[in-house]
Amino acid sequence: MIATRSPIVRLAIQTATPIAIVLGTYLLFAGHNRPGGGFAAGLVFGAVVVLRTIAGLQRPRHADTLIAVGVVIAVAVAALPVLWGDPFLDMKIVETTVPLLGKIKTGSALPFDIGVMAIVVGLIVALLDGLSLPTVDDTGTEAGAA
Amino acid sequence: MLWTLLIAHLAGIVVAGVAGRRGIRAGLAAAAIAPAATATWAISRLVGDADPATAELVWVAGLDLGVSFRLDSMALMMTTLVSGIGTLVFVYAIGYFSAGADGGVRFPTALLAFSTSMLGLVWADSVWTLFIFWEFTSITSFLLVGHKNTSADVLRAARRALMITGAGGLVLLAGLLLVAEAAGTTTISELGPITGSSASVAAILVMVGAATKSAQFPFHVWLPGAMAAPTPVSAYLHSATMVKAGVLLVAVLSPAMIDVDAWLWTGLAFGVTSMLWGAIGALRQRDAKLILAWGTVSQLGLLVTVLSLGSGKALFAGISLLFAHALFKAALFLVVGEVDIRTGTRDIAELGGLARSMPIAAAVAALAGLSMAGVPPLLGFMAKEAAIEAGLGLSGPERWIALGAITGGSVLTVAYTLRFWIGTFGPGPATEVAPRRLAMTAPAVLLALAGVLGYVFAGQVTDIVGPAAVEANEKASVYELIRWPGLKTAFVISIGIVAAGTALGWFLSARPVGAAPRTVGADAADETIEATLRFAPDITARVQHGSLPVYLATMIIAVIAATMPFFASAEIDHLVLWDRPLQAGLVAVTIVAAATGAVVGSRLGATLTLGAVGIGVSGIFVVHGAPDLALTQLVVETVIVVGFVLGFGSLAREFPRSSESWQTIRLVLSVISGIGIMSALAFAGSRPTGTAPIEALTDEAVDVGGGKNVVNVILTDIRALDTLGEVVVLATVAVGILALARVRADEVEAAS
Repeated sequence: MIATRSPIVRLAIQTATPIAIVLGTYLLFAGHNRPGGGFAAGLVFGAVVVLRTIAGLQRPRHADTLIAVGVVIAVAVAALPVLWGDPFLDMKIVETTVPLLGKIKTGSALPFDIGVMAIVVGLIVALLDGLSLPTVDDTGTEAGAA
Repeated sequence: MLWTLLIAHLAGIVVAGVAGRRGIRAGLAAAAIAPAATATWAISRLVGDADPATAELVWVAGLDLGVSFRLDSMALMMTTLVSGIGTLVFVYAIGYFSAGADGGVRFPTALLAFSTSMLGLVWADSVWTLFIFWEFTSITSFLLVGHKNTSADVLRAARRALMITGAGGLVLLAGLLLVAEAAGTTTISELGPITGSSASVAAILVMVGAATKSAQFPFHVWLPGAMAAPTPVSAYLHSATMVKAGVLLVAVLSPAMIDVDAWLWTGLAFGVTSMLWGAIGALRQRDAKLILAWGTVSQLGLLVTVLSLGSGKALFAGISLLFAHALFKAALFLVVGEVDIRTGTRDIAELGGLARSMPIAAAVAALAGLSMAGVPPLLGFMAKEAAIEAGLGLSGPERWIALGAITGGSVLTVAYTLRFWIGTFGPGPATEVAPRRLAMTAPAVLLALAGVLGYVFAGQVTDIVGPAAVEANEKASVYELIRWPGLKTAFVISIGIVAAGTALGWFLSARPVGAAPRTVGADAADETIEATLRFAPDITARVQHGSLPVYLATMIIAVIAATMPFFASAEIDHLVLWDRPLQAGLVAVTIVAAATGAVVGSRLGATLTLGAVGIGVSGIFVVHGAPDLALTQLVVETVIVVGFVLGFGSLAREFPRSSESWQTIRLVLSVISGIGIMSALAFAGSRPTGTAPIEALTDEAVDVGGGKNVVNVILTDIRALDTLGEVVVLATVAVGILALARVRADEVEAAS
């Protein structure tokens, strides 16, 4: 693969991965009050997936699972309020105090965002599969991804 | 309660699917539970005196969108028939199918899904709900008719049924739109009389929709073909349910159509031709099941004729006929199925002497057939008397048309009923008979006895059909079913009908059975469908030619066309060059990057310059104070650039050379679209309407969404439905990509 020949690029991507995952997670949770949100978080995770593909590192493979989980979560958050008589897509706000973190304000918008995130990551993984590129695993041998 | 029953049905579909893995009989037994419970509940309400049950799920209040059910007297009567006969059919099917039959999962689930759709249709109180369940019945009945999916003939018949009833559904939708518009309401129980030319158009459209479903001439061609279905399906679909949907529609919409002449005449045209043509068809068949099928066309014609007359007496008679027909026609189909299973044939030329070897079936067929022929002491007699009375009560030309058709159709009905009975059970070479199965006999016996009991308890039957008729026409309240009318005109006509019909039936039964005729028009319908199927790929191939540049050019031209009106009216006098000099710098970078991207020859260079354009734009967003937009844009650009780079593995480094003229076209298109979009934005910015929504949104975001990031609260709460729609689109795209990738993987595998 393009970047597998360059140990520097590979190492950089390997090192950047955890940082990017922290950043994505931050964006996901911060989204309600600061810039961020499920879509941006999903794209950051997606960028990680793409970069790791380029570097021939391990990456998620099951686009269908990600998409299915995402759609189920999003639709469940949307439809559950109907069961107790609230309007479709009625979002709940929850405030609790958690040890170490203090007072936390969150709500059913968070799982909705997680669903969105999963779908975005799933789409990117699907796109990568769709490009049907031969990927190379960690040992450097070619594993045909047809 | 309606929701509970609906959910019970849906749960039943799942349970039947699971149970069906153990065999078709287990699946059928599991599937019978929900209809049995519904029928019990409906009968308990028939006995007691209850207010209409309603259930509603509002989606968009202002547009009357949502699901709304209302169980009034008509719906209650239909529920009793749909679920009651449904339960009997499930029981019957347990006997009909051998234990190891195929489709153990498919058949019970499809039959219960159909039953559920039918209940939804019967309960519907909004024209939209009605339409949706109407379409559900078309689709589920397609699955049922096409049950034996290994035979090309069966599949063709199923497809014909689907196409005709599906097309009719679309016509109905147009009609319902007009009705709702003219009446000013989408609630069926509140429909008032509509008038005017749009009412006439609506009447014709609705009547055509009803005619396709209720197999009226010339749309009847799907019904004989649908006999390819297993007999329990035919018994269910063509007695109490599917074909009754159209008739029911005529009844429930008749309050709206009371003043519309087109309703009466379209209904009479369909009804009268179907009644006569169907009966003639029934007399020509040699397959016992097809005799009943054509008889159903004829009977439905009678129902449409009587119901479209619209008078109180006619509605009362029509609904009584509907009730009686469901009972006797189901019984007759069940008997034919039993004959088929026990003798291995349905050909009346081969069958004979079954009255001795199958006495119970013969008795059931006799009772149900006499009810169909309108002979006392049976329910069918009282209903037909009422129909003749309704015809006598009319004035004008429709009196003679209706009376003539009812009389003529009834004579033929008596004749084909007699021919059916004699051909199947009458004298002839004795046919070998397999042992009786209780599960098949009992339901048929119950249905046939219901015809007798209906006559004995005429008052109680009046209490069922009367209120239903009153809902369609208030004047129907004074009528009742009469056991023995005495020597009145209608009774004399009835005697004449039976006498003439018996003579004709006897005469025809004595003649040798000719070859089975083909259904006139069925081939034409099939050819139309085939032609459509050939035509559609041609169109698709022309529109979806697969050239990416042409797709893009098409989209850009559409954008240009959409922004064209703004060229003239955009005001540029309020525009300022920049708020901050930094903006000018960012714009300059973006423009240079874009221009470079247009001329650069290598793919990598083009990708990088495109990325630079995106980053420049996200910088402009930052300066404007939209960090969210900027963040998203930045991440999108990153993923796109990296993704492109990834794709280069299988592409040449340089772009292929394109022709001079194509370059010119691209240049012109991009310049015009750029100017167009700019003018559109300038126009939008120059026409502020009201106050900016930003403050209201900020407050709402904190109060309702509990977040300070307005953009995200809009996405996840205030306009969450849009987001849901978008992510579903994303998911669909992803699934599409996966599917394409798999197809390609298979191709690669096949090639290697």
